[in-house]
Amino acid sequence: MYSGPPMPLVALLLLPFLGSALTALLPTRARTLVAGFAGFVSAVAAVWVISLFPRVSEGGVIRETISWVPSIGLDLILRIDGFAWMFAVLITVIGALVSLYARYYMSPEDPVARFYAFFLAFMGAMLGVVVSGNLVQLVVFWELTSLVSFLLIGYWHHRVDAQRGARMALTVTGAGGLALLGGVIILGHIVGSYELDAVLASGERVREHPLYPIALVLLLIGALTKSAQFPFHFWLPRAMAAPTPVSAYLHSATMVKAGVFLIARLWPVLSGTELWFWLVSGAGMTTLLLGAYTAMFQNDLKRVLAYSTVSHLGLITLLFGLNSSLAAVAGVFHIMNHATFKASLFMAAGVVDHETGTRDIRRLNGLMRSMPRTGTLALVASGAMAGVPLLNGFLSKEMFFAETIFLSSHPWVEVGLPVLATVAAIFAVVYSLRFGYDIFFGPPSTNLPRQPEEAPRWMRIPIALLVLSCLIVGVAPAISIGPSLAAAARPVVGGELPDYSLAVWHGFNMPFVMSFVAVSLGVVGYFWLRKHQERGQLQDTPLVARLNGRRLFESALIGLTRFSRKALRFVGTQRLQTQMFAIIAVAILLALLAARDVPLAWGERERLPASPAFVILWVIGAICAVGAAVMAKFHRLVAITLMGGAGLVTCVTFVWFSAPDLALTQIVVEVVTTNLLLLGLRWLPMRLAEVSVRVTTRDRARRGRDLLLAIGAGSGLAALSYAMLTRPAPHSISPFFLSRALPEGGGANVVNVMLVDFRAFDTIGEITVLGAVALTVYALLRRFRPSAESIEPPQQQRALPADAVTDLVRPRTAEDAARGFMMVPATIARLLLPLSVVVAAHFFLRGHNEPGGGFVAGLVVAIAMLTQYIVSGTLWVEGRARFRPTRWIAVGLLLGATTGLGAVALGYPFLTTHTAHASLPVVGEVHLPSATFFDLGVFAVVVGATLLILTALAHQSIRAHRQPAQTSALTKSARAR
Amino acid sequence: MEAVLALVIGVFGGAGVWLVLRPRTFQVIIGLTLLSYGVNLFIFSMGSIFIDKPPIVKPGVAADLEHYTDPIPQSLVLTAIVIGFATTALFLVALIASRGLSGTDHVDGAREEP
Amino acid sequence: MSLLLPHLMVVPIVLPLVAAALLLLLGEKRKRLKSVLNISATFAGLVVAATILRRVDGGAAFGEIGVYLASNWEAPFGIVLVADRLSALMLLLVGVVSFCAALYAEAAWARAGVYFHTLFQIQLMGLNGAFLTGDLFNLFVFFEVMLAASYGLHLHGSGWPRVRTGLHYIAVNLLASSLFLVGLAVLYGVTGTLSMADIAEKLTLVPASDHGLLHAGAAILAMAFLVKAAIWPLNAWLVPAYTATSAPVAALFALMTKVGIYALLRLGTLLFSADTGSATHFGRPVLLYGGLATIAFGVLGLMAALRLGRIAGFSIIVSSGTLLAALGVGAASVTSAALFYMLSATLSASVFFLLVELIERIGVDGQPQLRDVDVSPGEDTNLDDEEVPLVGRAFPISIALLGLAFMSCALLVAGLPPLSGFVAKFSLLTAVLSSEGGVRATANASMSSAGWMMLGLLLLSGLAATISLARAGIRHFWSTGGRFALRLKSVEAVAVLTLISACILLTVCAEPVMRYTSATAAGLHAPRSYIETVLSTKARPRPPQSALEREGSP
Repeated sequence: MYSGPPMPLVALLLLPFLGSALTALLPTRARTLVAGFAGFVSAVAAVWVISLFPRVSEGGVIRETISWVPSIGLDLILRIDGFAWMFAVLITVIGALVSLYARYYMSPEDPVARFYAFFLAFMGAMLGVVVSGNLVQLVVFWELTSLVSFLLIGYWHHRVDAQRGARMALTVTGAGGLALLGGVIILGHIVGSYELDAVLASGERVREHPLYPIALVLLLIGALTKSAQFPFHFWLPRAMAAPTPVSAYLHSATMVKAGVFLIARLWPVLSGTELWFWLVSGAGMTTLLLGAYTAMFQNDLKRVLAYSTVSHLGLITLLFGLNSSLAAVAGVFHIMNHATFKASLFMAAGVVDHETGTRDIRRLNGLMRSMPRTGTLALVASGAMAGVPLLNGFLSKEMFFAETIFLSSHPWVEVGLPVLATVAAIFAVVYSLRFGYDIFFGPPSTNLPRQPEEAPRWMRIPIALLVLSCLIVGVAPAISIGPSLAAAARPVVGGELPDYSLAVWHGFNMPFVMSFVAVSLGVVGYFWLRKHQERGQLQDTPLVARLNGRRLFESALIGLTRFSRKALRFVGTQRLQTQMFAIIAVAILLALLAARDVPLAWGERERLPASPAFVILWVIGAICAVGAAVMAKFHRLVAITLMGGAGLVTCVTFVWFSAPDLALTQIVVEVVTTNLLLLGLRWLPMRLAEVSVRVTTRDRARRGRDLLLAIGAGSGLAALSYAMLTRPAPHSISPFFLSRALPEGGGANVVNVMLVDFRAFDTIGEITVLGAVALTVYALLRRFRPSAESIEPPQQQRALPADAVTDLVRPRTAEDAARGFMMVPATIARLLLPLSVVVAAHFFLRGHNEPGGGFVAGLVVAIAMLTQYIVSGTLWVEGRARFRPTRWIAVGLLLGATTGLGAVALGYPFLTTHTAHASLPVVGEVHLPSATFFDLGVFAVVVGATLLILTALAHQSIRAHRQPAQTSALTKSARAR
Repeated sequence: MEAVLALVIGVFGGAGVWLVLRPRTFQVIIGLTLLSYGVNLFIFSMGSIFIDKPPIVKPGVAADLEHYTDPIPQSLVLTAIVIGFATTALFLVALIASRGLSGTDHVDGAREEP
Repeated sequence: MSLLLPHLMVVPIVLPLVAAALLLLLGEKRKRLKSVLNISATFAGLVVAATILRRVDGGAAFGEIGVYLASNWEAPFGIVLVADRLSALMLLLVGVVSFCAALYAEAAWARAGVYFHTLFQIQLMGLNGAFLTGDLFNLFVFFEVMLAASYGLHLHGSGWPRVRTGLHYIAVNLLASSLFLVGLAVLYGVTGTLSMADIAEKLTLVPASDHGLLHAGAAILAMAFLVKAAIWPLNAWLVPAYTATSAPVAALFALMTKVGIYALLRLGTLLFSADTGSATHFGRPVLLYGGLATIAFGVLGLMAALRLGRIAGFSIIVSSGTLLAALGVGAASVTSAALFYMLSATLSASVFFLLVELIERIGVDGQPQLRDVDVSPGEDTNLDDEEVPLVGRAFPISIALLGLAFMSCALLVAGLPPLSGFVAKFSLLTAVLSSEGGVRATANASMSSAGWMMLGLLLLSGLAATISLARAGIRHFWSTGGRFALRLKSVEAVAVLTLISACILLTVCAEPVMRYTSATAAGLHAPRSYIETVLSTKARPRPPQSALEREGSP
């Protein structure tokens, strides 16, 4: 499973996550405890990481593999080389500093446990990204960082701006992550492996592969979104809604660096092509300028920093886009420098708003008096940001200038690049001054919400440390940062480093001139801008204020939603008719498609001679069917009658074509169904042809359409059945049943034997269906509320004289139906009851050898009972016969199951039939096939289910006391849409 | 004979489909019932249709599809009839409930067609 | 069924039946007893499913294929139950989901109306039967059992939205059932047999002149499954129905779309695979493009949906679209990935439906609506209006837990790392990328457009899910700020946590599961052994006289 050095690196990766889990369990408002713990965890991680330096300094690589899903090339590979090491150091060290800082930034009532839990989780995710030795694994952690940053930005979740900022960050970076996944998959497909080493090894192959452009674009989308590069830069300023420590950590040092990390990581593989140059350096250049330009006009401290971050990331991206290893080194160098000074600046900004209660540059002035130490630190840091000599920012900027000059490419590029670089530098000086000079010098501002004072020492310590490192690197680069830079840059440029010098002073050369121009023009520009702004001009960013990325994004999102809703109305529907139409239409379409290559041909089995009687019978049948179709709208009773006619004709057909069982079943089912429908009629609204609504042409069109479809479906069915009817059935399995039914099934009626023996399993299911439906019907009708106008008794009943006492009106006073006008039928029906039971018994017993069986018998009994209900009224019947349909269903199902299990008890498969020979004293030898018990179960279920359904329906008419349905039902339905 | 049967199956199916596409729940239920008749006959017609050769074995008659009509479709139809009956009942009750709750018998429960 | 305990295979069908009957006998009183009975029966089903899976997986190349001859008639004459890897997997899935649904229902829903437990068990019987049976008509019967119970469960608790959507649901399914019957009848007419294995066998004997009929029949049969599997444009019934019904039922319904997928996969590979000679790769394009259209439809829905329930419904549509498209590609590697995806998608969908209800119990202020673009300058500041530093708001523990559950569920649904949703989507993408049928990447890397579309749509669906889930999550958790405490019953928590930890388990043990699914796919795409095993299983000799004497009335 696991292979590696004794102290596994995976522990380093797990440490922050573990810490996060534990932190979540700490008391939520214990600031010091929680912060201390988090700081401790990150400090340990930091020390651990730094201690690894010797193993990676000389191009060494630490590798560890834990297999996860090898079958799809998805393994956990921890891989630390110099570059990853450098990032790991940034992540852990700055993490430790920020967790110390946040202890003082957060207010005592804050639920900091949640904050620090997410904070540590983020640290873990970020570590995971940089130490991933497998690209898919990298994507995994990449998306994790997006998710956790979403939670961190939304820490103050009750604020709308936090919600929006978090959601925007998640959407943009999440989308980027998906693109990245696509790119990684294609890349892995080209290389044949997702392992970083394998990918790094096969740069040539990748760049030549036809899929290279697609892969490159997808990967870049991932990287650029994460690093807030144009055109995806807009999410970063919005993310400033996060608590300042989060900004200091995620939005300066770590998460936004993930994009450039990826670009640098894959630099040896992907770079070196024209496409790379134009895409990467193009995006970088645009962002560099746009960010710096916008930053100048911001009035919120954090937004200045946010846009400057955007612009610096653009600088880094540009460096990597230049296809020169020297530029790549500069890029790596600037990653470090930017992380240090930007983190410190964010913390300083946090101190300012924490102490003064505002972040508005226009209101802040001359803070130097009240907070000298913080002011000094902020000044130095902003100097580094501006690229002032003797600070680290200066060095990397010099390298950048040098690159822009020595680049050999298209003439336009060769001239334009240095110029644009200088312009960007000028902007940088301006916004740095606005940040540093503007708020700390000049007359102290008076209208501040709170009287500013120096921040607590421990809040300043982290800032001080970072600023110190800026200074040291700036003064003595070679000795301080040299080795780690070398170690970090080596893997990026693919092994051998280009020769570069980290001297502060390179002599009076072109880059120096550019810096000089930048600084001096910057100062001038600053004062010019300030003059104008004091006049109230140039308040918001000129030229680009129009294209507000955030607003574009949000309106795009909303537009998308609106569009999808409209589109859904087209491609989806809420109406049943449309759905039914679709189903039938698609069915016909598919059938035609499937059968298109083989023309439908009639078979050559010799036909039966058509007998006129049959034809006439079926003319009637057809008329009934069509009649029912026509009548169903306005004359329901007629429709039911005609439908019954159609059913009868079907039944006769079964008799005709020697299917007696079917005929029997059909007829009894027919009776019950008709009764059901009749019972249902009472609850349907009055519908008269005269008062019906006017028919519009749209309706006509739809009817025509439906008619066509109906004809199509009908003729399709007819054609299919005729084709089958005229074919012989060469290899049917039926003869088997015919030959085995009597000897082994113990019954002459093959159909019945199939039901209770060969295919008894079907029958079990069938009766279960019956039971389930009956229960559903009962459950549904228990809650039934008739609609308002069908509460009244039907007019036939209302027509009776007021004093009439029958079983149908005021039944409570009628203890005997004989008083009612149903006397004669009632008497007859009561005489019929035992008779029908006998008939049922007959059907049941002979079922195995002749037409009949449990099902028919059950229905016969049910019908007999039903007749009692009809003629004597519900109350009368139930007053005399205690009847529990659900019991019958349960017992029937159990009987069926136990019969089957009886076979199991004998070691035979479920439902195997046996015949028991019992010798009774009088009757003598009798054969008891277990099938009989099974059939008995069927009988019970059928009786129970049918009666449950019918009586539940019948009961509705005697529940006049019920309230009508709330009219709110319709409004409910409106919401249900 | 076959032609007549096939035609009639078609008529049942067509009438059923037409009704199933109508806006009133009552029409739909009648349609479903007609459709099930059609389908049952259709299944039935998959076997070899004979006149008075019911699948009830008589001694001394060769057990093949020359002397008996095919029992399998019959058993299938038998099951199908039962299930069709059950589902019809269910649909009927559902439509009554819908009628009760919405006050209309339109399949979408709206007062008039939307 | 050498290795299988005899009769083990029939238990998943008989156990729920008996349980249902007993629950019915208990009447409307004795609620506690019924709850216990229901849960324990469901749990027993889960255990049995696990045992079957273990035994099936124990075997050789294609594993043991368990065959059970119901009522002791050998195929093709009797009805056979067949448990291969696929069936076992589905059974296990049913077991897990149903167990959690049963637990959850005890919190409240089981008492919202009558006969919930009985119908619940019958539903399980139907599902298990559909996954086990090897007989076409028996498949229809179990479809009906499943549907009949599902009608009842869907309408459970009544109320206008349920009745309205229920009416549509019933009507659509009745129509689909009659299509099922027609198609099945044609297949019987052409092949003269009903056992799936035997049909596959006989297809080679079908004369070429009958192929038109055969394919037409198969197409009509497939329609029934496509409606169940919610392919576009036949899926308009799904979202209203699933959102209207009660949470545990909806969780159970997450399985129902998979029944359609299962049937398509089973019959498609069995009847129309190269292995059985009748190598017409029939309907592949329909599945592929239909699936893609379904994904696109689902994406639209996700973007449009603001209510959590609808999001859940559309996520189901997306997942079945993905599965259909994967079946359409029709390569063993893709099928294997699809099976893994199906596991993850089903579990996450059901937990999603459970969560929806819990979350909506928190309550939100006002109806969901599209917030307009805020035209405020967006002056972000870490200070509130009194310009004192902001203070975060703490969540009550129950809300925090729920939030975590929702987050992991969202990750699963959107297919984001690190949970099984991502693994599934990733493996599917790689499989599609390298499969012949999908994105064919030969030396000159000519790619089939369908494969590309699938690639893009899968990623896009993930994005859409992310967006709409983030929207809903913010609305429910952040906007309310947990101001309303939530009373979370323990059974509900257990049910949700069980499902989520099942997904986590799926993530951690992805490798063995993948091995299982690839073995399953291999077995499916080479159905010879399935057919032979089924047709060669002999019935036990008829009982000797003595046995008869011993058996009185059972």
